[in-house]
Amino acid sequence: MSTPGNNRRHWELWISVLPFALLLVLFLIGPMVLTPLLTFQETKLYQLRWTWSFDTWSTVLSNPTYSAVLLRTVWTALLSTIVCVVVAYPVAYALNTRLAAWSNQVQILIIFAFLTDAVLKTFGWVLFLDVHGVGNWLLQKLGFGPGATNILFTPKAAMLGIVYNLAPYPIFTIYLSLARIDPDLKHAAYDAGASKLRTFLQITLPLSLPGAIAGALLVFVLSLGTFLESKVLGGGTKPLASELIRQTFETRVNWPLGAALTFSLVLVALAALLGLVMIGSRLRIGAAGRETS
Amino acid sequence: MKNAVLEVDAVSKDYGGFRALSRVSLTIDDGEFIALVGPSGCGKTSLLKILAGFEFPTEGRVRIQDRDMAGISPAERPTRMVFQKLALFPHKTVEENIRFPLRIEGVPEDEQIRRVRTMFEMMHLKPEYRHRYPARLSGGEQQRVALARALVSYPRVLLLDEPMSALDAKLKKSLQAELKRIHREVGTTFVLVTHDLEEAMMLADRICVMVAGKIEQIGLPSEIYRTPATRFVAGFIGETNFLPVSVKAEGDGAVIAPLCGRGDPTKLAAGQIAPTIGGERADLLIRPEDVRIAAEAPTSGGWHVEGELTEKFTKGSSTQYRLRVSGLDRDFIAESTGFDTGHIEIGQKVIACFDRACFYVVEGAS
Repeated sequence: MSTPGNNRRHWELWISVLPFALLLVLFLIGPMVLTPLLTFQETKLYQLRWTWSFDTWSTVLSNPTYSAVLLRTVWTALLSTIVCVVVAYPVAYALNTRLAAWSNQVQILIIFAFLTDAVLKTFGWVLFLDVHGVGNWLLQKLGFGPGATNILFTPKAAMLGIVYNLAPYPIFTIYLSLARIDPDLKHAAYDAGASKLRTFLQITLPLSLPGAIAGALLVFVLSLGTFLESKVLGGGTKPLASELIRQTFETRVNWPLGAALTFSLVLVALAALLGLVMIGSRLRIGAAGRETS
Repeated sequence: MKNAVLEVDAVSKDYGGFRALSRVSLTIDDGEFIALVGPSGCGKTSLLKILAGFEFPTEGRVRIQDRDMAGISPAERPTRMVFQKLALFPHKTVEENIRFPLRIEGVPEDEQIRRVRTMFEMMHLKPEYRHRYPARLSGGEQQRVALARALVSYPRVLLLDEPMSALDAKLKKSLQAELKRIHREVGTTFVLVTHDLEEAMMLADRICVMVAGKIEQIGLPSEIYRTPATRFVAGFIGETNFLPVSVKAEGDGAVIAPLCGRGDPTKLAAGQIAPTIGGERADLLIRPEDVRIAAEAPTSGGWHVEGELTEKFTKGSSTQYRLRVSGLDRDFIAESTGFDTGHIEIGQKVIACFDRACFYVVEGAS
């Protein structure tokens, strides 16, 4: 049933979403459609030629360098996701319990972590990890021997940078989901005789899983696209997909190849994401009951 | 005489500089249903938390079944709590919720199943709810699940922290009746915290009225209603009339005469005078249902006030009349059973009579 008032509201709605919808179509959906189309074209003398062939794809699929980079990227993303969540959980938990009285200040601090540019923070790590840097000096004084932080310009340092830059996301999501848990649930578990560990494992942890999963998804998606950390801290010997794609587009001016690599990365990432989501939904099957009330 | 299951001995509780409880003493009998009643901030919830073991008294002692509870955690006490917001585990099914305490206790599997079934029957929960999540149940059903989870491990004392405050009036009434039945069936000691004296009257064997961290009065519901220890207790339930009177001590009792309205001086026995009365002025407590509306003043010196009818409400089973009486700053209220017969109009002068048989005086308003 459409009354005149209803119709007008429809128009208002359409007009108000139009600018954003245009942006979305032009700069997101458009490129997403163009990317797979581009993969079937060729370049000659740095010129894109609109032909239809599978040459680019056969290069991508036959050259092991490309698949190695893609796999390494997904592996790095998975690993940094796990490390990030493992690092973030105790931090978020402590912020909720030990520092509960300071929750406003703590939230501002977490937001502050996002205000400082990642480039600056990443270069900061170079100074810290350098053989003559603060970190090395400190570890030597503590008796770890010379060259204790001899990881600069290795994938380990890149991982350190990724975790450092992305950990605030899961800290925030886990913090929020922990804060939403009614403290009486813990009391009810204690009242029923449960130990602190059991209460944590059976009540707090399952109820905070949505936050952990949301944080994990954020870290995973973001770390798939990182290039800064591996370039600055990882020494650039083992590039990640985004760096390779950037080079292919910019330096080699091979758009079809760049598009094919992008498309492959998106596919692999989607598959991994789907896997994560499935694990997640299995874990929180119990929590599903909460959403309907 | 029954045995005391729970003894609270001069318990005080300070939060920073705030004294939530000051030297509260209370003995609760085995199997009794006692209600802790008072306005918010009176310390009733603090006392309950101390009984549960979530908090410890600053001074004084709590004994449960003759065992000192100092330093004993909630888990080690023979008490279980029903929380205000129920605190059902949202990620566990109804059955898992109820079984949770038994699993922790390590009760054998078949015994767990048997007890859960007993609880389902006692709480009138449908068997198909077993695998539902609490959020899928109605407020009343969630209430029963919370009760089942608290009672499934057969506690000696069940502590209830305003578990019905969030329910609508009709559901509340039916659950109150349920709670009474469940108490009779399990025979466990119930300690109910509520701010609703009417609810306490309906449910409890004994009522403990608390104000500002102190116990104002402990007694049977009828004692709380008919012979309140203080003006606060008198005025805590429903709407009540206070009529200023002069008091003159005579023997064990006193003689009172109306300072507002009319009536012959009347001799009251000691039991008709609240212990807090001092001086020569007091307030006569007149419950609205003890007042009779009449067209003419009684002849034999009977007590009455004269006023102008300002409002009348039909409450279904009864009708309430509100009178403006000169000398009283609040409306004088009369309540009679049945519907209003329509013979008194608003604005009309009427007489409100009350019988000497139920006279009781409390201290005047300060």
